[in-house]
Amino acid sequence: MKGINKLLERIGRGVGKVVGAMYQAGRDSVDQVIKNVLPFMAFISLIIGIILKTGVGDWIAKTLSPLAGSLLGLVVLSIIIAIPVLSPLLGPGAVIASIIGTLLGTQFATKAIPAQYALPALFAINPQVGCDFIPVGLALGEAEPETVEIGVPAVLFSRFVTGPLAVVLAYFASIGLYTK
Amino acid sequence: MQALATAAEWFIGLFKAGGETFVGLVTGIIPLLVILMTFDNALITLIGPEKIDKVGEAAGREGLIYYPIRYMILPFLSVFFLTNPMAYTMGRFLPEKYKPAFYDSAVSYVHPPLGIFPHVNPGEYFVWGGIATGVEQAGYRVSDLAIRYLLIGLVVILIRGIVTERITAIMSKRSAASEQAAAS
Repeated sequence: MKGINKLLERIGRGVGKVVGAMYQAGRDSVDQVIKNVLPFMAFISLIIGIILKTGVGDWIAKTLSPLAGSLLGLVVLSIIIAIPVLSPLLGPGAVIASIIGTLLGTQFATKAIPAQYALPALFAINPQVGCDFIPVGLALGEAEPETVEIGVPAVLFSRFVTGPLAVVLAYFASIGLYTK
Repeated sequence: MQALATAAEWFIGLFKAGGETFVGLVTGIIPLLVILMTFDNALITLIGPEKIDKVGEAAGREGLIYYPIRYMILPFLSVFFLTNPMAYTMGRFLPEKYKPAFYDSAVSYVHPPLGIFPHVNPGEYFVWGGIATGVEQAGYRVSDLAIRYLLIGLVVILIRGIVTERITAIMSKRSAASEQAAAS
């Protein structure tokens, strides 16, 4: 009898733990969607709506698409964004990357830019990722002040090299993607 | 009067188009996002994020074979289990000289998994979502792009880690030399 009781208790506890974890996970993800994702969707929708209706979209299609629809253009884009003085300014909240990504997205949708450029484009819009956050990120890793002093320029300079490099790498990694 | 009404209609049209886009995004992305994030979050709680501390302790060692552990496996696990921005706390297990490179590597990986593991950084979903939505509207399968983004991202963060580690080493040598010159 005691054995059965113990078994039942253990099952009950296990189920409780799993159900609790899943319920909390659901609550967390709904919270995240309401607090972070939906507001951003509203903001992005507003921008897309204005672009579609005002004809800015046609202008983008004519000027930006040829740039984003070639390897050279994407490399140039990534180099500009990765300039060590610019990159920390373009970083915050990934807002700039999201906007450029969404603008390019409208061009991918109309096939003004061929879809096989999607992967290099994802890297081209994002060489500045986290450049605004280096001191805080290092502090979270319990780095000494001397490390932060060297680490900030080290990461910024590194991006200037690895940003364009990532685009080229992604270009060759898209061979065979969306070709037909 | 007629002109005014036309202008008003055009003005409202801007936001109508935005509203249609919004509905498309909400019905197209949110349902999958919520369920996927719930699954990921539950998985993390049940596994226990503290389990990756051991990887952090191993990643700080010298030697070539520790490069992929330090700049691929550790950033991946940190971002997956701790998400942005807590992932960077894993740098505390590493020696000072590797910390900038680890941060560079980890922060560069908060977007590549978004197509498959959106829980790592839902607030910045559109870095991935903008282009992905466009590709989907053009009639292509997005999962092909998502998986390549995730995998190439790993190669890119390894390269970033190695390059930043070198640059950090060169710069700290230089600053030590200039300090010595200033002292003498």
